[in-house]
Amino acid sequence: MSIALRGVTKQFGQYAAVENIDLDVPTGALMALLGRSGSGKTTLLRIIGGLETPDQGQVLFDGQDATLWPIGDRKVGFVFQQYALFRHMTVFENVAFGLKVKRRGERPSAPAIRTKVQELLALVQLSWAHDRYPAQLSGGQRQRVALARAMAIDPKVLLLDEPFGALDSQVRHELRRWLRRLHDELHFTSIIVTHDQQEAIEVADTVVLLNQGKIEQVGIPDEIYDLPRSAFVHRFLGQVNELPVLLRDGRAYIGPIDISAAAEVQTGSARNIALIRPHEIEVGQASAGWPATVLAVRVIGPIVRLDLCADDRPIHEPLEAEISRERFEAERFTIGQRVGMRFRRWQVYPAAA
Amino acid sequence: MGRLLLIVTALLFLCVFLVLPLLVVFAQALAKGFEVYYLAILAPMAWAAVKLTLLVAAIAVPLNLIFGVAAAWAIAKFNFRGKSALITLIDLPFAVSPVIAGMIFILVFGTHGWFGGYLRAHHIRVVFAVPGIVLATMFVTFPFIARELIPVMQSQGKDDEETALSLGATGWQTFWRVTLPNIRWGLLYGVLLCNARAMGEFGAVSVVAGHIRGVTNTMPLHVEILYNEYNYTAAFAVASLLALLALLTLAGKSILEWRQPELRHAVRRPRDRTRRAYS
Repeated sequence: MSIALRGVTKQFGQYAAVENIDLDVPTGALMALLGRSGSGKTTLLRIIGGLETPDQGQVLFDGQDATLWPIGDRKVGFVFQQYALFRHMTVFENVAFGLKVKRRGERPSAPAIRTKVQELLALVQLSWAHDRYPAQLSGGQRQRVALARAMAIDPKVLLLDEPFGALDSQVRHELRRWLRRLHDELHFTSIIVTHDQQEAIEVADTVVLLNQGKIEQVGIPDEIYDLPRSAFVHRFLGQVNELPVLLRDGRAYIGPIDISAAAEVQTGSARNIALIRPHEIEVGQASAGWPATVLAVRVIGPIVRLDLCADDRPIHEPLEAEISRERFEAERFTIGQRVGMRFRRWQVYPAAA
Repeated sequence: MGRLLLIVTALLFLCVFLVLPLLVVFAQALAKGFEVYYLAILAPMAWAAVKLTLLVAAIAVPLNLIFGVAAAWAIAKFNFRGKSALITLIDLPFAVSPVIAGMIFILVFGTHGWFGGYLRAHHIRVVFAVPGIVLATMFVTFPFIARELIPVMQSQGKDDEETALSLGATGWQTFWRVTLPNIRWGLLYGVLLCNARAMGEFGAVSVVAGHIRGVTNTMPLHVEILYNEYNYTAAFAVASLLALLALLTLAGKSILEWRQPELRHAVRRPRDRTRRAYS
């Protein structure tokens, strides 16, 4: 099912949680709503699911106005960060809940319910746990039960609110990949809310970045990472180094590096900043590029992070560079060593007033 | 050494102020032998007081159960204007002296009260009758269930209910199958406390009941009358029954806590952490 939001606004008292949001979620998409807490991402999810009513605007399900549909009629499966499993019910009863509460005419027979629940438990690889209670399961297992329970009603949309937020990073990583596979197999439309840019990029095929109740950018993960439309998006999606862009004699510089050739700088009077990701800094011999001193070296598995103090820059604002382990093994940078920096890529934005 | 001193002090204090009086009640009640005890308890007036007390509790507690759940639900699961005022109001009976609570009902329903004329015209007796006693008891015991449930419900949040609704459950199904099982231990605990207080309430009931023997005398009032008549053995006999009811309530509470250790601690902690510890 496709979902569309048209001019959706929701206020909580004086505070605008979401403002005039337009968004299209095509059928079968796996979309991530990404943002800090308070960005309005959860409110948006709850509006789609029918847990909140927008003050203005429309929610369309397959083109039909669903703004005021009751939750139960929307056929949405919800998965919450804290699992929200019914703790007095076994895993089996939890998954069967959505089938057992159906009206008499629509309710499947007991054996049909049993079969369906067993299928779902097999799908989430928890067949062995059907008579356990939630308290007896680990976090990752509980979240899989929650997912099976949501899928029991054959939802047309799956809404996941920070589903992996309460899990440790190992389990989180596994579940993300598993969710992605499940989605590819079953083709339902899914929307996942997260504050973790890595999660959004890893799992979703479209990322919507929200900031203060408004959409900053919508795009596929690569695009949103490589071509951020604003400094906010650029900063949000990963580590960045920020350097002022200096204008001299009609030419633009980052430190001593002339970037005028890239020609994307308006040489007006506005102040500009350049954002450079750590892996976009090339570190080489001191003779070439912007001379700098190595302040710190940290080996983190396959990558090595260097803190560099560029000449003419304050020492308490070092730049962060990332190089591959192989390159590090070849060059053997040490603390105090003089090196030269070059920038492989950068993006220039007007500095915030 | 310091620890020992503390423990001894606490135990001594408990003995003098709690255990000793309780023992005295039973000792006095049985001072003249079992026969006198039975006679005192089975005296028609005493028996009428027992029945009235049970009747009042049987009406007041279920009604407070319904109001308490409704109030706790509203406060814990919804945001609305005047919510903090409602919370304060629920605590009012704790803050107001029971005597004043009784006076309020006299003022409202008494012969010269606001509705006095209307009630008399329709031959409805509230004050100095069972309805007044029930009202006064309900007023005094109102906070027990709501107070017990609000933190439980708040700590559980709305996720369970929202999930149930999204799975297609109706409001009633959600309440019976999800909310009620989630709060059952807290609810039982609140009901027990409410019941204990309902049976033992003296001040408010004393004002509205009018002390009509065999008609509007609850057990605590009956104890007072007997005591004022220097009929100590009978007074302590009835008092011992009341004390017994209180002890039974406490025993019930202990059994609950023993069966459900999370009851007391889970209430104020995020549920998952306690759950994990529990598993």
